Amino acid sequence: MKKSVQKITGSWRLVSLLTMMVLLSSLVSAQVTISGKVTASGNAAVSNVSVVIRNTSYGTTTDLNGVYSISANLKPGKYVLEFSGVGLKSKTADVTVAGGTNSYIADVLLADDVLGLDEVVVTGNSQGTTKKQLGSYITTVKGDKIANASTPNAIAAMQGKVPGAQIIQNSGDPAGGMTVRLRGVSTIASSNEPLYIIDGVMINNSNARVTNTQADYDGYGSIGQNRMVDINPNDIERIEVLNGAAAAAIYGSRANAGVVQIFTKRGSSGAPQVTFSTRISSNSIRKKLVVNSAPTKFGGPTDGPTAFTQDIITLVGTPPALLTNTTAVTRYDYQDDIFHTGMGSDNNLSITGGKDKFKYYSSFNYNYNEGIIRETNNRRFGFRLNIDQTITKWLSLTAGLNYSYNNTKELPDGNQFFSPINSITIIGNFHDIKQRDPNGNLLAVGERGRINPLSVFENVDQRNKTGRVISNIGFKLTPIKGLTIDYNAGIDNINQNGTTFIKPFTYNVSTAFWGGGISLDATQNGYASAANFTSIFFNHDLNATYNARITDKLSSTTQLGYSEQYETSQYILAQSRGLGVGVSTVTGGATPLPTVDSRSQQSIRGYFLQQNFKFNNQLFLTVAGRIDGSSVFKKENRNQFYPKVSGSYIISESDYFRSFAEKAHIDLFKIRAAYGESGNLTGIGPYERFNTYSAGSYLGRTYLGSSSVRANDNISPERQKEFEIGTDIALLSNRVQFTFNWYNKEVVDLIVPNLTVAPSIGFTSERKNVGTLTNKGFEILLTGIPLQTKDFSWEITGLFNKNKNRIGNISSPLITFTSPTGAVFALIPGQDAPVFYATYFARDANGKQLLTPQGIPVIERGNAAGVPQRDPATGLPYTSGPNSNVLRKPLGSPNPDYTTTLVNTLNYKKLSLRIQIDRVAGAEVFNADYRTRQGVGNGSELAEKELKGLLPRGYIQQTYAIEEWRVDDGTFTKLREISIGYSFGKVKKFCNDLNVSISGRNLVSWDNYKGFDPETNSSGQSGLLRGIDFGNVPIPKTFQISVLVKF
Amino acid sequence: MKKILTGLGLFSVILVSCKQEFENPNQPTQEQVFAVVRGITSAAISLQRTYTVGRAGVVYNSIIANGSLTNEFRLINAGNTDEAAMFAGGGAVDNLNGIVNNLWIQCNKVVWEADNVIASATKLGDKNYASGLIAYASIFKALSIGQMATFWEQIPQAPGTTTSPATFQARQAAYRRAVKVIDDALAAIAANSISSSFISNVPGGIDYVSTLNALKARYSLFAGDYAIALSASALVNLSIKNEFRYDGAVGVNNPIFETATATNNVVQPLDSTLGLPGTTGNLQPDLNDKRIPFYVSINTAASPRHRISGFFTGNAIAVPIYLPDEMRLIKAECLLRQASPDLINAKNEIDAVLTQLPSADPFGVGAQLPAYSGTVDAASLLTEVYRNRCIELYMSGLRLEDMRRFNRPASERKRTFFPYPFRERDNNPNTPADPAG
Repeated sequence: MKKSVQKITGSWRLVSLLTMMVLLSSLVSAQVTISGKVTASGNAAVSNVSVVIRNTSYGTTTDLNGVYSISANLKPGKYVLEFSGVGLKSKTADVTVAGGTNSYIADVLLADDVLGLDEVVVTGNSQGTTKKQLGSYITTVKGDKIANASTPNAIAAMQGKVPGAQIIQNSGDPAGGMTVRLRGVSTIASSNEPLYIIDGVMINNSNARVTNTQADYDGYGSIGQNRMVDINPNDIERIEVLNGAAAAAIYGSRANAGVVQIFTKRGSSGAPQVTFSTRISSNSIRKKLVVNSAPTKFGGPTDGPTAFTQDIITLVGTPPALLTNTTAVTRYDYQDDIFHTGMGSDNNLSITGGKDKFKYYSSFNYNYNEGIIRETNNRRFGFRLNIDQTITKWLSLTAGLNYSYNNTKELPDGNQFFSPINSITIIGNFHDIKQRDPNGNLLAVGERGRINPLSVFENVDQRNKTGRVISNIGFKLTPIKGLTIDYNAGIDNINQNGTTFIKPFTYNVSTAFWGGGISLDATQNGYASAANFTSIFFNHDLNATYNARITDKLSSTTQLGYSEQYETSQYILAQSRGLGVGVSTVTGGATPLPTVDSRSQQSIRGYFLQQNFKFNNQLFLTVAGRIDGSSVFKKENRNQFYPKVSGSYIISESDYFRSFAEKAHIDLFKIRAAYGESGNLTGIGPYERFNTYSAGSYLGRTYLGSSSVRANDNISPERQKEFEIGTDIALLSNRVQFTFNWYNKEVVDLIVPNLTVAPSIGFTSERKNVGTLTNKGFEILLTGIPLQTKDFSWEITGLFNKNKNRIGNISSPLITFTSPTGAVFALIPGQDAPVFYATYFARDANGKQLLTPQGIPVIERGNAAGVPQRDPATGLPYTSGPNSNVLRKPLGSPNPDYTTTLVNTLNYKKLSLRIQIDRVAGAEVFNADYRTRQGVGNGSELAEKELKGLLPRGYIQQTYAIEEWRVDDGTFTKLREISIGYSFGKVKKFCNDLNVSISGRNLVSWDNYKGFDPETNSSGQSGLLRGIDFGNVPIPKTFQISVLVKF
Repeated sequence: MKKILTGLGLFSVILVSCKQEFENPNQPTQEQVFAVVRGITSAAISLQRTYTVGRAGVVYNSIIANGSLTNEFRLINAGNTDEAAMFAGGGAVDNLNGIVNNLWIQCNKVVWEADNVIASATKLGDKNYASGLIAYASIFKALSIGQMATFWEQIPQAPGTTTSPATFQARQAAYRRAVKVIDDALAAIAANSISSSFISNVPGGIDYVSTLNALKARYSLFAGDYAIALSASALVNLSIKNEFRYDGAVGVNNPIFETATATNNVVQPLDSTLGLPGTTGNLQPDLNDKRIPFYVSINTAASPRHRISGFFTGNAIAVPIYLPDEMRLIKAECLLRQASPDLINAKNEIDAVLTQLPSADPFGVGAQLPAYSGTVDAASLLTEVYRNRCIELYMSGLRLEDMRRFNRPASERKRTFFPYPFRERDNNPNTPADPAG
């Protein structure tokens, strides 16, 4: 590489000499053409590199062959060409224009840039700036890293690629929801998801629940899909991620949880280029559970509709006692009945091209992906058209149009016992579920009215369909030198429709599971629902940017902006139960269930002013302020001011450092600091500040019921104050690159929900701005190239994120939140938000569980102050009296202590290998399924032992209420991605470029978790209820073969 | 060029900002609700809904808590943590228990909202409509006060506010307060009879005068005011049904059926003794007592053998507010407990209950047994009253109070009183200390 750089420098000398010779011939400006070719390592042509002539308004980008050409009206003199592109180190080249010569050639070779300091980022600055100038940290993830991650979900593909981000796949369903946490928990009352922006359009990452609408579903969580699933990863050019407030002044209004900005691919001039990619994948369950293999069960009969289920924990007779007689049974593994290997394919075609002033990018994508649960799949197709048109010298237009249609064939999520996984978790594994009556109907599994797992597939039909248009248009004006005015508008329109049909059962299924009970009650048996969610997000902004050169060394950028967002949505649900024969619509139900019709509107408006100074290309300072107001808050609290200041100093550019740097092989040494404030303007729902009454039908009349939450008209937006410092260092010709960020985020005026009030005032809880929350942590990104030869290179990238999340104050010693799984979450000052707050085992001073004489652990009890007490008579906790209060304490948190990623990339000629390992450490999971499996008797861990006499009879029953045994170790290390690719390059007479790769995702997990996968959350995208495993579909292991051809 | 400029100029019109005040089309505010009669009526209807519906409602929680603490039930699935704690009793029933909290929260909510309804009703011009609102709201207010006084030693004297938290009163005083609420309602009805338009605007199933008098009799008895209880019980029409209705739609289901009977996953009757100790005929029910098959059905095919029946056999089955025979047993108990016991009339009331044919009872609850043949003295007859209350009023949420009133040994129950929810204690310094057990 070094050699080629010298070569180019050499040729430059020649060019300079030539230009010098004609320097004096003319001093009036003349039309000249500067052209050349830009290449990167391996002599590959690089497209989309921006080439601008410094201090002029002339510029262009390279085409697909790396070629550029600028026609400009220039006076003779020295000019500087600036080259910059994503993932490449910027470079400048000097051109001296002389009279008489009209064409100049400048070829350059750009080096790879892992730290990306010279990348142009537009986040936080509408006109774009290089990362080098920023005082805060922004991550850029390139499109190819997203498209090649063996997942059709763009967010999942970001796992392990963004410092400071914890990205969790909550469900392994083909369109399963994702949660993104940037620098920890930033609010406890509302969504912790970052703001998503695609090409300037604010996106609704909605969790609208159009399926799983049954009233007894988990009411707290946000289960199911979130709408980033609609985005085609193949269209993504890059993703910029802002972790916090310090970076987010331009999005101050709703950037408390950070910003993820996605840029789609744009056209480049030249002959049309056709790119086709196809990917075939297979999804299968990574780890199966070992099930109970004991040859007996307690009580009888062996099987059938009267079989005594839940034999491990059920008390019978008078006085109630556990059965000890046993019956021989056959044990089954039902996992084979619900899981299968799902296939998937992704076909993407893009055509891009343009001429002179018009450029376009168009694409068509079809993705089909089967889940690891039988009968589940997701189909998505979409089109995108992006155009750029230069109208006049001072006016250009950009527009984008994306339509997508996502069609999911689902089955019920966890959280209910009629979901595929729960249907096998909640029954003993001694039923022959495949038996049928003479009519071919499946049979009941035991006496409890539980659902036969096979009925989940035969009786449930659940569809979730979304048509979506995301569209943007923008104008850019450059009326006078140095001034740019841009206007952007965007619309995101979601139309989501869900249908559920549960066919009436032919055997006793509990009415709680939408069956008809023992009597097969026709008014109850079966369920149908149809739900529709429509949402429109509209946003537009107008910005004016003025660049001025104050002195040779000092320049200034001033930016003034206005932005506005309007959102409206409507959710309609119709449902009924007790369905007639052959009807699968709501109309066919004997018993109508409550309908829902809910509508909302809100708007946010803001202004900002930002001033940036650049001194000698080494010292940068930005000061900004913005005012935002959201309609959800009352007038007096509406408009908020958010200041921001940041600076950076590139020490390696300074004269006094340069000589030392050269000796020490320091290529870059930058320090930076930033402080910023931002708000959570969507922290409460559109009408939540009012004390309202909910309406509904009750015995033929309308009731109006007072809420359990006392509303608070005085509520104001939460405010986040973030201080961040960091450094970027590159050594040894960029072979070692290091980034370090330290931050302290404090949320003040934290809206604390579920703040208890004395129920004797008529309410149960209220919501107030009384809390504080902090996230302190650091992020390290270290890249090294231990080996680099002509044919071989080895690159290691390590990422380490440590975040310490703490509740400061919530004006209460404890606030608890329950979920239907029985997991109790609590907010406690000085602890993570949230912690599992639960009953626990009594232990001795050495931490050993205390046992009864029968060898059974006991629950911890103590005095009213919460201090454990021992009964001297038994040495165990008291079972009665004032010292027998059952005690609870924090038993861990779903928030990890740290997350880390190690990526090894090896390239040998055209062959490449990439291995990504992710580790999430110190998080706990509330493993509800583990306990259920033991209680109903299909668990191999304890139930089998109790049946075999290896544990005393009653061990499970007597410890069942001790919540600690559901709190499980959620630490894992995963082989997240592995891929081997071969780049054939140009294939004669066939194509310009051909790439083939084989890859895998989530193939191996090293963990001690007692369930399928600790990376899960059955409460979905809920901000607070995290780390619950309750019938949730585990993340599949995926193998993929992909071929990419460019014609 | 000009065209472009004109176009952009027109386009900039869009920049006119959108508004920042939006009306909530989904839910009215408290002011809107109480501004009109229709709104007050809907708020009153929600009292019945809050009290009777769902797993969080008072009907479910009072029956389940009472039955679990007093041995009426067996626990089917220990995974129901809150119910399991009731069966474990003692310290396992703690200040965070869901049933304890639901009872406290919903009863307090009903009392608070009933006060709003009554206060708004007294300001109405249509006094006949107002008396209906007052009577209707007072039933749920009295029931909620009574439920709290059943489970707690002390209860809030009146709804509090954040700045002036509620003070507490002893349970006997609370029962008398419930009676005062009823007396005020009866006085309102006496002054202005309830209009037919009110009756047609609220769910049916309730005769206001009978129901108010029945509750007055119940709570006067619990307060130890036997003369008042005796006179009130005499005013109850024993041939009509007063009940909470359900219609089988989700949200308006019989809550015990919905959660326990239909699922067979929470509780079932302990067995045909209904959890009564002793021997058959002593405290335990007579083998021929027809009330047993009314309340407990037998499933010979699958375990458990004894299943919930009675008033909990379907989603649309109504639950009685009181049973006519409760009035007879109140009369008997008052006659026995008064300064000079009236043994003859007390025995007559007991016999009326014992010999009643199921078909003779409006709700079909009849023992169809011979008359009382044991010793006729106050102590023995009181025991017979207790035994019959336990059988006749099975799964009505009254046994805990009966156990205390009849001085049953503490070993027969899992807990005598509930602790106070942390929610109350943390936010109300007047909250009393938790009871010992």
